Amino acid sequence: MQQLLAFIEQRLHLIVFALLQVICGFLVFRLNPFQQVSFTQAANSVTDAGNTMSSEVSDYFDLKYQNELLQEQIATQFQNSTIGTLLVSGDTIELKDTSRKSLYDVIPAQVVYNTTFKANNVFVINKGGNHGIHKNMGVISSEGLAGLVLKSTANYSTVMSLLNTNMTVIPNIHGMEYYTKLLWVNEAPNVMRISGINKLEKLKIGDEVKTGKSSMLFPSGIPLGTITKLDKNPKSQYYETEIETATNFRSLEYVFVIINRDIDQMEALISEND
Amino acid sequence: MTRRILYWILILALQLLVLNHLELSAYIVPQVFILLLITLPLHLSRLNQVLIAAGLGLIVDFFTATPGIHTSACLWLIVFRIGLLNRQDLKQQIANRMPYTFSSAGLVSFAYTAAILVFFYHLYLFFIGSIGAIHGATYGLTVMSSSLLSLTIIAIIQFSTTKRI
Repeated sequence: MQQLLAFIEQRLHLIVFALLQVICGFLVFRLNPFQQVSFTQAANSVTDAGNTMSSEVSDYFDLKYQNELLQEQIATQFQNSTIGTLLVSGDTIELKDTSRKSLYDVIPAQVVYNTTFKANNVFVINKGGNHGIHKNMGVISSEGLAGLVLKSTANYSTVMSLLNTNMTVIPNIHGMEYYTKLLWVNEAPNVMRISGINKLEKLKIGDEVKTGKSSMLFPSGIPLGTITKLDKNPKSQYYETEIETATNFRSLEYVFVIINRDIDQMEALISEND
Repeated sequence: MTRRILYWILILALQLLVLNHLELSAYIVPQVFILLLITLPLHLSRLNQVLIAAGLGLIVDFFTATPGIHTSACLWLIVFRIGLLNRQDLKQQIANRMPYTFSSAGLVSFAYTAAILVFFYHLYLFFIGSIGAIHGATYGLTVMSSSLLSLTIIAIIQFSTTKRI
């Protein structure tokens, strides 16, 4: 006890100094307007930093829900597109034409497996036969066309990616369909080629390539990509055209399966004519 | 004792009535009154030194309408002074109850201690004074120029008064 008292006595000036500094701090930041504002700003910035950190953590755990919301929001963008209007009910989005007649159902799905490094790439989505998904249904992403359903189990489906040498799409540029093929040639995971477009056609780099009306699997106007290279080979009468895909397959996370409700009737009619 | 009190009043008057109203430049704001703390008698207890520093700071704060700022700076200065003087051999001066001046401590020791304390005081004072809006170059220039002018005035005061008080 005596040692403690001796210690306190020896350091008494420091204890008094500390107490007086606390009082000074109070006086400085309480009674001086400039210092008060500075202190308030500093305190606010600390509080803001804390709130931001807290918000980031809670946002992270809220991401799944936000992704689901985004899927629905992206799907509703079709309302403003040329392919008709859209109604959302449950996890199935009903796509209608302007006469309100049902044309397509759109089913949001999440990509659970995806390859981009093979010659024939596929990806797997977490929706299948139980959700009304079957073979040969079109699949799009929020950016553009993504692929075609190859096979379905109860809860999963395999989709042939656009990055698949077996996948061909008829391109539509400026509303004109070109009866040639848009092909992936196994070069880069975002580059495709179109061959057979005559050099007399007025195309330019930056032109958008979309789906046309020749397919019943996809609505027309779904982006396929943008022309990035347009070479005129003097030995050929055709362009050598490269397309950058609209869909980024390396970061493909969410897709929408397109179901054409009347495809059976349409195919029956076409086969009659054939 | 009367002479010492008069000396304190004169130094404070010089600071509060003259130097604080000089307006030489925005970068030159000398704080000469800290000479009173630097030259406190060496035999004073540490606690008394701290209390005197707080009292002096409060007086200056009262007249300059800067509550707490000079008091805080004076407290730091006195604690710093205690630390610096602990490293110097001043037993004889303490026994003789002498103030800390260049004649009692020696010119070099006093100049060294005074320069450090004056610089430290201005550094701290202008930091607290402009906290939250400190501009590095302006801050450095103000501290240096104010410290140099303060040291010059302190040197003049010391040379002209040491033998008389």
